[in-house]
Amino acid sequence: MNALISLRGIRKSFGTSEVLHGIDLDVYPGSHTVIFGPSGSGKSTVLRSMNLLEEPTEGSVVFEGVEYGPGIPGDATPRGKKIDLRRQVGMVFQQFNLFPHLSAIDNIALSVHAVTGKSKDEALERAAQELKNVGLLKWAMNYPAQLSGGQQQRVAIARALSLDPKLMLFDEPTSALDPELVGEVLAVMRKLAETGMTMVVVTHEMGFAKEIGDQCIFMDQGYIADSGGADFFDTCTNKRTKEFIGSVL
Amino acid sequence: MEETPRLNFMWHLVWDFRAELLRGLLTAFEVAITALILSLFVGLLFALMKMSRFALWRGIASTYVNVFRGIPALVSVVWVYFGWSLLFGYNFTVYQAGVIALTLLYSSFFAEIFRSALEAVHKGQREAGQALGMSRLRIFRSIVMPQALKIAIPNIGSMYIGMIKDTSTFTVIGLAELVFVMQSINAEYFQPFVLFTAAAGLYVAAAFLVDFVFRIVEGGLSYPKVGRVKRFLTRRKRAQIQRLVEAN
Repeated sequence: MNALISLRGIRKSFGTSEVLHGIDLDVYPGSHTVIFGPSGSGKSTVLRSMNLLEEPTEGSVVFEGVEYGPGIPGDATPRGKKIDLRRQVGMVFQQFNLFPHLSAIDNIALSVHAVTGKSKDEALERAAQELKNVGLLKWAMNYPAQLSGGQQQRVAIARALSLDPKLMLFDEPTSALDPELVGEVLAVMRKLAETGMTMVVVTHEMGFAKEIGDQCIFMDQGYIADSGGADFFDTCTNKRTKEFIGSVL
Repeated sequence: MEETPRLNFMWHLVWDFRAELLRGLLTAFEVAITALILSLFVGLLFALMKMSRFALWRGIASTYVNVFRGIPALVSVVWVYFGWSLLFGYNFTVYQAGVIALTLLYSSFFAEIFRSALEAVHKGQREAGQALGMSRLRIFRSIVMPQALKIAIPNIGSMYIGMIKDTSTFTVIGLAELVFVMQSINAEYFQPFVLFTAAAGLYVAAAFLVDFVFRIVEGGLSYPKVGRVKRFLTRRKRAQIQRLVEAN
């Protein structure tokens, strides 16, 4: 089976300091990859290079056989435009990043209308469906400021899903939430995972990572320090990984 | 003992010449609003240039802003009206000269107002638009600009009041705005105290009116929606969403 997205030799520098030192990662259709590690280890940067929000200084980002990154010199993979990649990849941010000047339903409807070119009425209908799926249809006309953090994040997930992405990226989706609101967001993500959506999740929620992760990546200081499959949390032997998991759990 | 001359305030002049005074104020409004509309566009253009990746564009915009921000309205209008005619042999009407002078001046202020407002929009907003696959134009038009405009609108209102006041200097080129009208009446009746007081009152009334209008506009741009005007304007959309909520 071909990977949905492949990273090869991803390096990223901010000014003179390099934060990613060559990352190789394959994400297969239907799989759930979880990335964790201490802050500053580069896990968000890896995630953000998957939709080119962070453009790698070097390396290859191949999505369904098309190169969107800087690429590997001499490689003949066809190249694509960033915007075409982003239209197939959904992203959920730590800070939600809902549009504060639009109601919940308009946050979704604008995206559908602007990206797919559907009429405004069709876009609203699609938006209503997506809100219903995350249990927030009743809050359709509320503005982000009138929603709890958990509700905002669920709207943000609904907004990303409204564009029928093939891959969903989650950048610490529950880190900005009050503890009692984490559950509702994880429940939506769990439901999504069960539908077979391909997901890459950067998270500090180790319980959740263990539950859904079938590819587990531990990052440290700009490297993939350790990785494994679904049984990673029970079987890993790396001392640093165990220390980290121990300190978070 | 010499008798103090009795003050004889002819307040009735204000009422007698109400039509002329109001027409003068209206002219001030007109010149200022035409210049406001032009300055908003020119100002936005220079704001975008200032934020450009290209140093040349940034340099041009900074020079423009620093030059025209530094010129007083009086100097600017004299230069446009007389200078342009001398240099290029083209005569602007007083109305055109007033609009151009104000636009040069205030577009440089608006460039700064828009730049800071655009920069105040959280960078996560642009990123969210990019991650969704929106075009740059769409992100600007539907996400960044509405938020920036809301931040900028109180400043734009203050600037517009300033523009109305600056039209008073255009009396030197003979624009029939409020001060010009007032001085013509004064030439006949010599009642400077009465007439200047009337002018001051009218300018203040204009400022209150502008403030009132801009508050409505601000309410319309605010979120969650505030004010009856906004609720009225969005009533059909809200009904449509209500139907969707009930149908699902």
